[in-house]
Amino acid sequence: MAVEIVMPKLGWTAEEATITEWTKKDGELVQRGEVYLLVEGDKSVNEIESFETAILRLLPDGPKVGETVKIGTLLGYFVQPGEKPPFETAQAAAQLGGQAEPQASTSVAADAPNPNPDPYAGRDKRGPKISPRALRIANELGVDWQKLTGSGTSGRIVEADVQAAAAAMAATAAAKVAVVQAPPVQPVAVQAIAPAPTQPVARAMPAASNATRKTIAARMSQSAHTTVPVTLTTEVDASELFKLRETLKGEGAGRGAAQLVPSYNDLFAKLVALALQEHPALNASWSDDGVIQHAHINIGMAVQTERGLLVPVVRDPAHKSLPTIAAEANRLVEQARNATILADDMRGGTFTITNLGMYDIDGFTPVINLPECAILGIGRMVAKVVVVDEANPRRAARTAIRKMMVLSLTFDHRVVDGAPAAQFLQRVKKFIEQPYLWLVR
Amino acid sequence: MKELTYTVAAREALDEEMARDPRIFVMGEGIGKRGGNFNTTLGLYEKYGPLRLCDTPIAERGFIGLAVGAAMSGSIPVIDFMMVDFILDAMGEIINQMAKMQYMSSGRLRMPMVLRGCIGIGGAAATHHSGSYYSIFSNIPGLRVIVPTTPADVKGMFRTALRGNDPVIMLEHKNLLSNKGLVPEEDYTTPFGQARIARAGKHVTAVGVALTVQKCVQAAEVLAKQGIEVEVIDPRSTSPLDIATILQSVKKTGRLMIVDDAFEPCGFGAEVSAQVGVHGFDDLDAPIRRLSGAFAPTPYSPPLEQEIVPSVETITKALYDLVKE
Repeated sequence: MAVEIVMPKLGWTAEEATITEWTKKDGELVQRGEVYLLVEGDKSVNEIESFETAILRLLPDGPKVGETVKIGTLLGYFVQPGEKPPFETAQAAAQLGGQAEPQASTSVAADAPNPNPDPYAGRDKRGPKISPRALRIANELGVDWQKLTGSGTSGRIVEADVQAAAAAMAATAAAKVAVVQAPPVQPVAVQAIAPAPTQPVARAMPAASNATRKTIAARMSQSAHTTVPVTLTTEVDASELFKLRETLKGEGAGRGAAQLVPSYNDLFAKLVALALQEHPALNASWSDDGVIQHAHINIGMAVQTERGLLVPVVRDPAHKSLPTIAAEANRLVEQARNATILADDMRGGTFTITNLGMYDIDGFTPVINLPECAILGIGRMVAKVVVVDEANPRRAARTAIRKMMVLSLTFDHRVVDGAPAAQFLQRVKKFIEQPYLWLVR
Repeated sequence: MKELTYTVAAREALDEEMARDPRIFVMGEGIGKRGGNFNTTLGLYEKYGPLRLCDTPIAERGFIGLAVGAAMSGSIPVIDFMMVDFILDAMGEIINQMAKMQYMSSGRLRMPMVLRGCIGIGGAAATHHSGSYYSIFSNIPGLRVIVPTTPADVKGMFRTALRGNDPVIMLEHKNLLSNKGLVPEEDYTTPFGQARIARAGKHVTAVGVALTVQKCVQAAEVLAKQGIEVEVIDPRSTSPLDIATILQSVKKTGRLMIVDDAFEPCGFGAEVSAQVGVHGFDDLDAPIRRLSGAFAPTPYSPPLEQEIVPSVETITKALYDLVKE
């Protein structure tokens, strides 16, 4: 399907930008990752690279080199071999329209749906059959119909099949709020964040949310298809951490609103960063040249907003005090929720934590936020009867009520092996069970 | 409102318009004293006399040519063919003169005339008396082709035909003639090119013509018991054709079947199918289906002649299969 090329937003305040050079020609095949366009923004010339291998088609009457245009201005399309860009199919449609029977033309124009630029997009000749209506609705709802089976006597995928799949998608989307959206590589993609995936999938979803959903889908698929994810889970005794936070809360209440009480996420950001200092193998990325270990530790925090899941990044929490982290995280979450967060504040993460405890989730399998190597899922804190002092030679084993929680660490086995990942998780567990180990640093 | 049969409603239209407009006269075989083979002019001879109810010899080409001349010079002829099959003897006059004259004269000549006759299979009338020719005439620019299905529609559309300037071919299905229906008392006209939704539904659209509209409604009633809601559309005129109403329905249902008695190749169903294929492609959830008369001369045998046109049973099954496809 033809993908629009629009003038990208190169900075949060940018309103326009200048086309410096098309490094690829109209009709030329652009490989994924290749630079096809140079754009000058406020301060610098930026290379714009292609996310997919496709043919570049420039808008015939579009902006010329040297022209300064508004952000979002349509510049052209990426099309698949053999596919016509919409400006060519629109011309054809206009010519056909001229020959339509006069008595029908007016009302047809009013009633006919917007002509899809390419109704056969994604239609594999050897793949399953799908009706035009079902195809259109699948595209509208973002349903991957290639995996569907037609329920009718013809075996053709029909609207009912697509609607059923969309309903199922909506149901799983509600269960998968844990899925973390990767921070966009280009700030332009940040602006249109999908509505919360828990929204019921309606037939008339706005096109914008579709496009964003596709972006999210592409990133999720990229993570799922390129990483080798392994999830380790362990149950930890968070009673001490609980006590710590209750103490801070009491202290904070005494001082009034001026003193921010660090949230559990703030505590986790700090202790995970400190654990990563000891286990740098987890603070790494995979590249074509091998593993890159990052010098800095920046923790992404998954935040559910009305526009969808965002991952603001707290910089270097290992070297910051808890009140500083709390203040910073507070600001980021606030900005993420009211859609004023800067793109830069969602970039540069080296590790992500995602907390589903408030939804009564224990263990889960979070999706690795590329290019990071691992993500830590935090479950709910719940009081349980457990055996304590079992290994203490000086005390008799006994049962006690403790605040327990499950940690789920998903890591990319290409970057790190199971044992070091387990050791890291063990260290996090210890930091939760005995907070003074890291609080004294 | 009053209840009239189809025939009486059409006759009322003719009677009232003849009383209103002295330019109207009727020609045909046996339409004078006899009142028409199908009682189309019963009682009018006594009222309007032999000049305005003019019996003709069996010479279709001759009297259509005569009527074309009369229309050009200010009269409004109505030609009553009984069986519309007989009209075919005058195709040259109809297509080359009647249909083209307004164009050839740059609109200086008008062609207000109505050719009417019965279509359809019924009563073992054999192949010279059983044709349904709306597709053929709809293929000719300059002609209006109307196929009313209810008493109210035939009266309103006949009136529209008699008050217009274009040549109109009015086709009346034999098996609709004795149908009764409510007809408004007042002076009303029914426009051409406006389809009627004979029954609303949401699962599949059935477009009928003439008698098949009625059969589609009957099939819809059967299917309604199984939870399948058929939307039945009666185009009422095949030229001009109200494709917008059909498209709107297909947008809702995603499935379309055209049911008609005439032959399939290059026919009415093909036309509707093609237009929906162009303008409603993305609304289609299944291939467009047609159910038409067998591509064969009509047999004389009563059981056989019923076999070659869509029946309520075959329509019901075809619609069911289409919905389940």
